[in-house]
Amino acid sequence: MESSTLNLIKTGAFLLAFVCLGLVAGAQSIIKGKVTDAGTGEPLTGATVHIDGKTTVNAPVNLNGSYTFKNLPAGTYKLTVKFIGYKASKEYAVEAVTGKTEVFNIALVENSTGLNEVTITEQAGKESDRAVRSLEKNALMVENILSANTIQLLPDVTVGNALQRVSGVTIQRSSNGEGRYAIIRGMDQRYNNTLVNGIKIPSPDDKFRFVPMDVFPSEMLEHLEVIKALTPSMEGDAIGGTMNLVMKSAPDHFVVSANASSGFSSLFSKGRLFTAFQGSPNTQSPAMVHGNSYAATYADFNNKALTSDQSLNNPLSSTAGLTIGDRFLDRKLGVIVSASYQNVYRGSNSTQLTPNAQPTATAAASNVPQFSDAYTRSYSTQTQRLGIHNKIDYSFNKNNKISLYNLYIHTNEYQARQTADTLGLGLNSTLYNKQVTISNRSTLTQQNIYNSTLQGDHQLADKIKFNWSAVYSYANRHQPDRTDFAYDANQTLNSSGAIVSELDNNTKLSHHWENNKDQDVTGYANFIFAPKILNHDVEISLGGLLRHKDRDADYITYSLIGGNKSTVYTNNFNSIPFVFNLASDGVGANNPDLQDNYTVKEDDNAEYLQLKFNPVAKLQVLGGVRVENTLQKYTTQSPVTVSQRAGTSAYTDVLPSLHLKYEISGAQSIRASYFASLSRPGYGEIVPYKVSGEYYDEEGNPYLHHITADNFDLRYELFPGGADQLLLGAFLKKIHNPIEYFVVRDGGPSNQVIKPQNDDGDATNYGFEAQATKFFGVIGFSVNYTYTHSSITTDKLLYFSDPVKGLQQTYVSQTRPLQGQADNVGNASVLFKSGKLGLDMQLAFVYTGERLAQVSPYYNLDFYQHAYSQLDFSFEKMIGKKLSFFGKVNNITNAAAKLYLKYPNAQLSTQLLEFIGKQDIAAQTLVQTDYYKTSFLGGLRYKF
Amino acid sequence: MKKIYFSIIALAIAAVTGCKKWSTEHTDVYTYTPPAASPVSDKAPLSCSGSGSTVVSVKGTMLSGKTYTVEDGCDLVINATDTLLMQPGVTLKMGANTSLIALGTLVSNGSKDFPNYIGPATTVTKSDAPGSVSPSADPAYSGKWKGIIGGPTCNLMVLRWTHVEFAGGTEGAATSKIAGSGAGNQYSILFANYNGSYIMEDSWLYGGVDDPIRISAGKVAFFRNTFEKNGAVGGDCINVKGGTVGTMAYNLFIGTATNGQKASNKGQATGAPQTNIVMYNNTFISGGYRQTQSGRGGCINYEEGAKGMYYNNVAVNCKFGYRVVGNPVADVANMFYGNNFQYGDSVAVTNQFYPVGYITQPQTTDIPSITSTSKYLPSGYVLGQIYDGTDVVGKNNPQFLNFTLPVPAGISMSAYSAVGTFNFRLKASSPLIGKGKTDFQPLIVVPKDPIYGLSDATPPGADLGCYQLSGIGNQH
Repeated sequence: MESSTLNLIKTGAFLLAFVCLGLVAGAQSIIKGKVTDAGTGEPLTGATVHIDGKTTVNAPVNLNGSYTFKNLPAGTYKLTVKFIGYKASKEYAVEAVTGKTEVFNIALVENSTGLNEVTITEQAGKESDRAVRSLEKNALMVENILSANTIQLLPDVTVGNALQRVSGVTIQRSSNGEGRYAIIRGMDQRYNNTLVNGIKIPSPDDKFRFVPMDVFPSEMLEHLEVIKALTPSMEGDAIGGTMNLVMKSAPDHFVVSANASSGFSSLFSKGRLFTAFQGSPNTQSPAMVHGNSYAATYADFNNKALTSDQSLNNPLSSTAGLTIGDRFLDRKLGVIVSASYQNVYRGSNSTQLTPNAQPTATAAASNVPQFSDAYTRSYSTQTQRLGIHNKIDYSFNKNNKISLYNLYIHTNEYQARQTADTLGLGLNSTLYNKQVTISNRSTLTQQNIYNSTLQGDHQLADKIKFNWSAVYSYANRHQPDRTDFAYDANQTLNSSGAIVSELDNNTKLSHHWENNKDQDVTGYANFIFAPKILNHDVEISLGGLLRHKDRDADYITYSLIGGNKSTVYTNNFNSIPFVFNLASDGVGANNPDLQDNYTVKEDDNAEYLQLKFNPVAKLQVLGGVRVENTLQKYTTQSPVTVSQRAGTSAYTDVLPSLHLKYEISGAQSIRASYFASLSRPGYGEIVPYKVSGEYYDEEGNPYLHHITADNFDLRYELFPGGADQLLLGAFLKKIHNPIEYFVVRDGGPSNQVIKPQNDDGDATNYGFEAQATKFFGVIGFSVNYTYTHSSITTDKLLYFSDPVKGLQQTYVSQTRPLQGQADNVGNASVLFKSGKLGLDMQLAFVYTGERLAQVSPYYNLDFYQHAYSQLDFSFEKMIGKKLSFFGKVNNITNAAAKLYLKYPNAQLSTQLLEFIGKQDIAAQTLVQTDYYKTSFLGGLRYKF
Repeated sequence: MKKIYFSIIALAIAAVTGCKKWSTEHTDVYTYTPPAASPVSDKAPLSCSGSGSTVVSVKGTMLSGKTYTVEDGCDLVINATDTLLMQPGVTLKMGANTSLIALGTLVSNGSKDFPNYIGPATTVTKSDAPGSVSPSADPAYSGKWKGIIGGPTCNLMVLRWTHVEFAGGTEGAATSKIAGSGAGNQYSILFANYNGSYIMEDSWLYGGVDDPIRISAGKVAFFRNTFEKNGAVGGDCINVKGGTVGTMAYNLFIGTATNGQKASNKGQATGAPQTNIVMYNNTFISGGYRQTQSGRGGCINYEEGAKGMYYNNVAVNCKFGYRVVGNPVADVANMFYGNNFQYGDSVAVTNQFYPVGYITQPQTTDIPSITSTSKYLPSGYVLGQIYDGTDVVGKNNPQFLNFTLPVPAGISMSAYSAVGTFNFRLKASSPLIGKGKTDFQPLIVVPKDPIYGLSDATPPGADLGCYQLSGIGNQH
């Protein structure tokens, strides 16, 4: 322990240059050095170094991990280092000698008793083998980490947005511009999983397993890991990668920190107001209240979600956070409670041309896109996030510890979508006759995630450790009474364009409820045996998990019509006589959505054997095999006459992996790894749901196979010291049975549906990553870049004109990238951190190259998102010793997200061109632009 | 004397001619008809209760003169390899929330003297006098049972001299899963197999909710049918989608919610042909008024890649005239039309003879003539432009045998939705007579057979509309 904390700086070419910059000439007595995480080697920026002797001084640890005491009276000092979340260092005696610089480096050990599998093996390795210490600046596998301090300084307040700063990660935004899902190395959210403290959590999504990452306030994190290669001890259902959210754990002394901030989005000013609404009082549908046989009428519904609309000018967002932690009972009991609240107003202005699902064809050209609608939509989204977590750990003695962890996340998202009248642009209108459409939708989405984990960690014998976790989790999501109103009218205009009369509206109102829940009970157990075999340290891990999941989802939609065509809509719902087209449509049992309701039970178990040893001093071998067994059963509410109403599927995957790490020198190493992994289809996908589409219905597929993949990684690493690093990596993934959505025949010759299908061919995905970080005193630069290439070939529809048969349709195969994958992804940031000034600043730039946004069933008609770049800024300034002022500015340049169809825009009519705006690429057609504008946040943080 | 001779001659002539009139010959030769195999029993209602499902499978023969009842909530299913033949004079009473699903073959072989009847089990009173009941209170639009669904494996469905009434209830999940259709469907009749044939001859369709007849794809023949009160607040009476080929001729439509006949190539399946429909000699009365959406049409409509031709049709007081749609565009290069007649009581109707905003090309053979006046149509008329139809209001009264035009004061044009005592046959003085184009052929792709196919493909007629002075055409 002691020798490790006194680890001297390894001298290397890079390091020398670095150290030279820090050298100070003159006959002063100086004590300086670096403070790093003993596990990851990361600089512990923000830690406090305290010396006590002839004088008592504190020094902060800088961004690059260094601290300096200057002009000390000569003498012996007692030096200690403290940092939240870490065990305080022991007291060191250091000599200050006039005219000399004493270099003293300290590594702190995490206070975490968190027993996630990753850290367990890491810690085991750490403790068992002193010799590989320097190799373990990073984990056993290929991963990237954002520390709490990095996250705190980031311009982002959610984990979803913070993820875009990680090398090789792009984010998929929700309609208000907030990052929601992570695409890791071109693999979309389906291929990734999310852990909290190493424990997999269920998803509040109604169909899929992936977790929306915008529900997590980023300030709750101690660090964020993106693990790109899996070891046998990790759950094997990640092909792109695993996101592990490591939450704050109990400190070793009393800690209170609090922060509060306020801000706004510049979108909601100058006439573009924020639309706020109150949720409907009907949290349950008429069928849920009165039973499925109840015939609802218009009187059963409440339109408050729309009628309570009010416009807010520049509403203020606010965030607040509080963390309290301490250690009691002779430091045996640690407790931390942390809460975070956010109330954020965001939105977007969207302009969109909707291509007709079915293209047209001429003798000269096939698959010519046509446009059916033009929309201007404004989204106003108020998101309330509440996150609370707490951790209690207790050490019975040196060998036995337990901990209890609880996490509760709640979000309310109020989204008002207003679609302005745009059909008047001429799709079916003339100078004297204008079609008007207006539609407003109010959606309240409530999501909850709860996780409770009881863990134990036991040293059974000198060389045998045992740890276990018992986990209960649930995730649920409710959309109570989503209310959607659409109005369609015909206006007659006179020669000067004024409205003469308005008539004949098609007025529709729908009330929709959906609920889903995922409950998860899991037990984990791991044995770690660390003997010495043939004079080599060997670590053998053996363990597994048992999981039971209960999933269900229900949906119901009541669609009403505006009955009387003579009623012109004048912003007053009460004047419209809404009715059901047929009285029987109000009966719950007749609701077409019933067929989509499902219940899934899943029982998984997994076992692994993992071996770690060093055959030669510089080579670390970690390998083993994991077996995952999956048993899924789904049932629906369909009657016995319905084929596929229930189904079971069981599969076993044997997942070998091998991770090699060769240390070239103390600062450089090379990693090579192979792992096999899988991705299970979404719960909703395997259920035979049916959603009516305008052209093709979409159906679930009970015959879906799970996806498997072979993954290869190669990485060169250079850690010259401090936070500096250079990582160069390459990867290759071969994906078997990839799931894609495409049009297939169903039932008879005429029926075609869009269905998730396992593609016959494998998909391949390869690329390389580079990440470099370099600090020059108070200024640091960090750059990462990832190139990805993926390809998959699927059948697509070709609509063409045959000289004899006329218009015909056939299948042709098309090779394209995986959905969501961008060839070029990069981040660049400039950091300034001065402990002296108490000022931290960061300017962050994110670039996401062109990527496939949406796959069309038709050949060559996919939507591509144009290259997108965003610039954000953030800072934090200390005011006194405990208080700081911070600010975050997002999307400084008001970057627009733009979608294109790769078809020459010359075919667009003048009216459409005027509507969508400047067509800047001749060979493509701009079909959608979304603007989010700049948002600001400023506040205070207090640490005790 | 001369008088006597004359009288005798007159008497003799009278006697000869008269006696010729009186003489008759009657032959009654025995023909053997083998007994129907697998007759369906009418002893008890066709019931699904107790089976644990909604399905009642049926095949074989429903016998002349018998009445069959389907229990409430059941789906009467003809399996994929089975045939149900309804002999002339069969009554099939459908309980509430029932459907007739043809996965195999369905032939309702009614005759002029013994028509078949498929309708609700309960007696529903029709309110057919114009304006006697508002559409929202009219049981015609309430979907007393679900309807007839030809699933994706149905190879033949024939409705001959058959009444289909009061259908259009929402299919719901269970029915739609059995039929391979859509849970939200509210069609009275659905057919969805482009390799199969849908034949409807001399039949009646009364009432309906959404599209009364939806052909998702199929080979079709619609000859000499009568359609009343079709569609509640929307729905095209015969709405055919991508992969539908055939002929619609001599049909009478009164009071359709939207169009009477609509052709689109939307959703053409891979391997299916392009939608190609020949329409001729159809009559449309007061169509398009219950459609609540703007500008959707009132008689004939071609859109989205559909091709074909329409000649010799008659549209009276329809909300919109013959409509060819420009977005999504019909296959205009392969569309032919002319000799079509329109009549309007009001300028609102005549202003839409060439629907504003669409691309119907006025033809020189159209009635009223497109060169009637300087306003109708103006020189330099551009397709879809607004024009002033004042000059042709009330012009060219079609002179129906019993239907007053202009419609009498006090009753709106839109209130005419059932035939009742009206008679749309032509007086000898009608301007419709002799204006028809006859030098083209119906497009027949269905089998021709007196029972298991189309029995009579009446060729184009010389008089416009569905009734011919010669007596051919619509027989109702």
